[in-house]
Amino acid sequence: MSGETRIVTGRAYRAGKAQTWLAQNPLIALVIVFIALFLVTGAVQPNFLSVNGVRNTLLQAAPLGILAAAQTVLMLTGGIDLSVTMIATGAAYVAANQSPNGAGVAILAGVLVGLLIGSINGVGVAVFRVNPLIMTLAMSGILLGLFTAWTQTVLAGSTQVAPFIKLLGGGAWMGSVPYSVLVWGGVALVVIWLLRRSGWGRLIYAIGDNEIAVRLAGVRVWQVRLSAYMLSGVLAAIAGILLGGRTGAVDLQLAGAFLLPSVAAAVIGGTSIFGGVGGYTGTILGALILSVLNSLLTFLNVGQAIQQMVYGAIVLALAWGYASLTRRS
Amino acid sequence: MTNALAATRTHPALRALLRNSWVLGVWLLLGALLLWYTTLIPVFGPFQITSITKNSLPLVYLAIGQAIIVIAGGIDLSLGALLLLSNVIAARFMEGQPVGVVAAIGLALIVGIALLNALTGYIINLSGVPDIVVTLATSYIWSGLALWILPSPGGGTAPEMRWLFTGSPSGIGGSYWPPLLMMLIPGLLVALWARTSRPGLTLYATGSNRTAAQLAGLNVRRAKILAYAIGGAMAALAGLAMVAITGTGDPRFAVGASATLNSVAAVVLGGIALTGGVGNVFGVVATGVTLIMLNPILIAMGVNSNNAQVIQGVLIAGVMMVGGLSAVLRERRS
Amino acid sequence: MSEPNVLLATQGVAKSYGPVIALRSVDMTVRSGEIHALLGANGAGKSTLVKILAGVQSADAGVVAVDGRAVHFRTPADAIDAGIATVFQDPALIPDLSVAQNLRLSRIDMAHFREWLAWFDLAQLDLGAMVRELPLETLRIVDLARAVARNPHVLLLDELTAALTADQAERVFALLREWKGQGKAAVLITHRLAEVMHICDQATILRDGRNVAELATAEVTEHQLVEAMLGASIAPTGNAEHSRAERRFGEVALEVRSLSARHFVHDVSFAVRAGEILGLVALEGQGQDRLFDLLSGNRQPTAGEILVGGQPRHFSSPYDAVRQGVVLVPGDRLIALLPNQSVQHNLATPLFGKLTSWWRIPRDERPRVNRAVEQLSIDTRAASQVRRLSGGNQQKVVLGRWLVSGFRTLLCFDPTRGIDIQTKREIYSLLRELAAQGAAIVLYTSELAEIGLVCDRVLIMHGGRIVDEQDAARATESSLLTAAHGLEAPA
Repeated sequence: MSGETRIVTGRAYRAGKAQTWLAQNPLIALVIVFIALFLVTGAVQPNFLSVNGVRNTLLQAAPLGILAAAQTVLMLTGGIDLSVTMIATGAAYVAANQSPNGAGVAILAGVLVGLLIGSINGVGVAVFRVNPLIMTLAMSGILLGLFTAWTQTVLAGSTQVAPFIKLLGGGAWMGSVPYSVLVWGGVALVVIWLLRRSGWGRLIYAIGDNEIAVRLAGVRVWQVRLSAYMLSGVLAAIAGILLGGRTGAVDLQLAGAFLLPSVAAAVIGGTSIFGGVGGYTGTILGALILSVLNSLLTFLNVGQAIQQMVYGAIVLALAWGYASLTRRS
Repeated sequence: MTNALAATRTHPALRALLRNSWVLGVWLLLGALLLWYTTLIPVFGPFQITSITKNSLPLVYLAIGQAIIVIAGGIDLSLGALLLLSNVIAARFMEGQPVGVVAAIGLALIVGIALLNALTGYIINLSGVPDIVVTLATSYIWSGLALWILPSPGGGTAPEMRWLFTGSPSGIGGSYWPPLLMMLIPGLLVALWARTSRPGLTLYATGSNRTAAQLAGLNVRRAKILAYAIGGAMAALAGLAMVAITGTGDPRFAVGASATLNSVAAVVLGGIALTGGVGNVFGVVATGVTLIMLNPILIAMGVNSNNAQVIQGVLIAGVMMVGGLSAVLRERRS
Repeated sequence: MSEPNVLLATQGVAKSYGPVIALRSVDMTVRSGEIHALLGANGAGKSTLVKILAGVQSADAGVVAVDGRAVHFRTPADAIDAGIATVFQDPALIPDLSVAQNLRLSRIDMAHFREWLAWFDLAQLDLGAMVRELPLETLRIVDLARAVARNPHVLLLDELTAALTADQAERVFALLREWKGQGKAAVLITHRLAEVMHICDQATILRDGRNVAELATAEVTEHQLVEAMLGASIAPTGNAEHSRAERRFGEVALEVRSLSARHFVHDVSFAVRAGEILGLVALEGQGQDRLFDLLSGNRQPTAGEILVGGQPRHFSSPYDAVRQGVVLVPGDRLIALLPNQSVQHNLATPLFGKLTSWWRIPRDERPRVNRAVEQLSIDTRAASQVRRLSGGNQQKVVLGRWLVSGFRTLLCFDPTRGIDIQTKREIYSLLRELAAQGAAIVLYTSELAEIGLVCDRVLIMHGGRIVDEQDAARATESSLLTAAHGLEAPA
């Protein structure tokens, strides 16, 4: 029997070799886009092409990259978390509130807040089967209300974070490598290891691909989902604490601007919003690309209106490009 | 087998009622809330009805548009940005114009934004990029454009326009039937059209099972474009209602973003599955009003606005949890 | 009478998916007044050809002509307009709309449609019923009646009879005879050769993407058809036949007592021993699906108990069943596959069921997977995503998941549906081998011939009850069918 080997690479097969190669290694295409954007930004602002420029890009990208890690893991399961930015803000508030007790306690408290909120999201989605978009949207509203109220009561006055957190968010190791980038690197290693080398990672991809098949294989799908939302909460909290450290002070708009970019970074990086396909390496590149793009638009000094339009157009173009590069018929 | 079929046959009227039980439920809920509200405040009269109706208009329009798109198997995160765009163009160009010009601008906006969003639908078809991603990107583009057209809040519109959406030329007080009709007529028309016309059924078919719809010879790409066009038209209407209510244009990104998210919440609470193909548009009219009404009710109960927001979130999550859990239990038991 | 005119013809039709060639060159001619069979092993290119004729995909090269005119279909609507109506394996009906709304969307004349429904005793069908609420067999007939009501030149029927009862299939054939009497034509894609001999006039046989033969069914035997499909090199052998005398069964592996599920399963009791293959036979919709759901923990019974190794067990989800070694190969293989993951990841999924296995991937994962791949001879050339595998290979992957993890009782629901002869035989001998190694197997099958080939004992289910038990060696198709219709065996 001939066997039915249908290796489907669609359009790319008919196109040139270079394109075929890129289609098989779409991450290379992302690296090329990143370098190109970086050089264009350098052309606009020559100072950017320096160690300082690279450092600033990384510093900007770190919180976004960590939030996008949360989004990547959830998107792989077919979920999403629209409350990541409110979790981040809340965690930063609690960390600021606990700062007088020392940085360790402050960070632990912040992370616990993330874990708690992530667990509630997870229970809603995994056990009660609420659509993740709605569950996390509602959670975001709840958190906004709660923290707005609490800033006037229990959290009143806690807008300053501990010096160690400031160092973590804005400082640099030996004056050159920002600590937040080191934290990001650690997070990246853990997330990539989990996704590629652990049984849990296998299940994350699997439930995004076909939840029923995983259930029939004797897996309790709700446990996997719940754990993914818990991880998402923790990651969001880490990002929030870094952001609080970078700005030095905490307010309710701390992380708000990162919500849509955190989804966009994962999408640009090739993670399917329907689940089962993608990975964190691509998301890292997506976060870097969006950060450079942000710098470029700031240097161009075109005003917020044009910035938003260009940002939207480029996100669309990148997602489109990625889709047509890897499309299978 | 024929016996089994005969056994499950129910009276058409009863069946219609059962199939639309969710819609009936949300309208009953709204009625109950209204009744409760009348007991909470000292005076309940036309003023309150006008106020609730007109303030619900933008969300109701947006939710109707979102409902049509979700039924057709999509989701549009740019509807709020389109609302901003319609709002600022109206505010900027309608101010001080005679009623004829204002009407022309209004119609042009509805048609133009419908076409703009049809383009979004076309791009989704062409690119193969998921709806949620494309509309996320276009939401930036349209809100940027809105900000470019009207950099800071301002502008205005004609008194006739304000009367149409608020029942009063000055936007204060006035009679309740213009906003009420402006809410119910589009809601009923769109719901009826979607459920009975061939193009409307094609939207349901596309959202329910795209492959089957295609194999049955339906043009699913055209259906998607049509759904997005209707969504765009409703967003334009929402923008017009906004300028009529507030009397000015407001280009803030956050206004659009929260409007989008509320429209999704209204759609889901209205019994329309985000997976597409299921639900009735008329339900979202009720849930749109309910979401807006919660705030004054809670405030009338003495809850402060932050806690009101918390309660709203808990209610949305709670309703969905009950719905999800009952679906799970039903599945297990049968 | 004049020469019958050609209603549908293909010439040199070719189609590739990337580097893989699905169709090399197919010439096929369908004349008016003809029922034409399209045959071939899995992977021969039948489904690709159907997709091209139905307008789902377009050919890379070659010509399709309808009624003498060359046509080019860009969408299924084009094919329908040109006079080719297709009934696909999955009915192309919208689940969330009523039957009447579906017909309205397809612009079908209701009176005309009802006439055709009457062929199947379904004239009383409630057209206001939601498609989702109707059983699959009814939907297939609705889909067929819709296709016929379009009044096409050519009907294209893809495995239509697979889910139908013998009685309904006979009515389909009667309809086809009437159809060809009107000077129209039909193309039948089927794995059931008896049907081909029974109803078809001509047969086009595909192998490796080419048409290798066109035969008049009146002039050939089933064996000749099989030979043409498989090629001369692979002669059919009867090695799946096994000797029953040597078999010795072990302990009772799985037992159920008075198991019931509201409306579907009533008071079912049986036991299966280690080393035994217990067959289950039923007409469509007699509660067998639900029974398998209960056994695999997918749903909970309303009464009765399940015993594993003599101990009563409560399965609140498949997790519990799998932990007890009771595993399921479901009827629809697509629900048990991870389409975008590799063969390896698919096969290894059951290894990560327990919380304690979430951390490290076991060292012996790779060898265990490789052993399963070898044992099943899974074609791994497209192993990076299982959605690229053929149906037969996908079914092997579904089975293979349990070879990797290990099990004690295997529940197989119609594992050979829509699979070519070669793979079927491989699956039979695998089941025998597993039983010989001490597994208990419960096998539901819609192909009665499999019972004698594979099973030791067979239960017959009707109306949710076990109505009969027969020795598989002595059971005949007629004895099984009699019981499956709920009739007493003639004394």
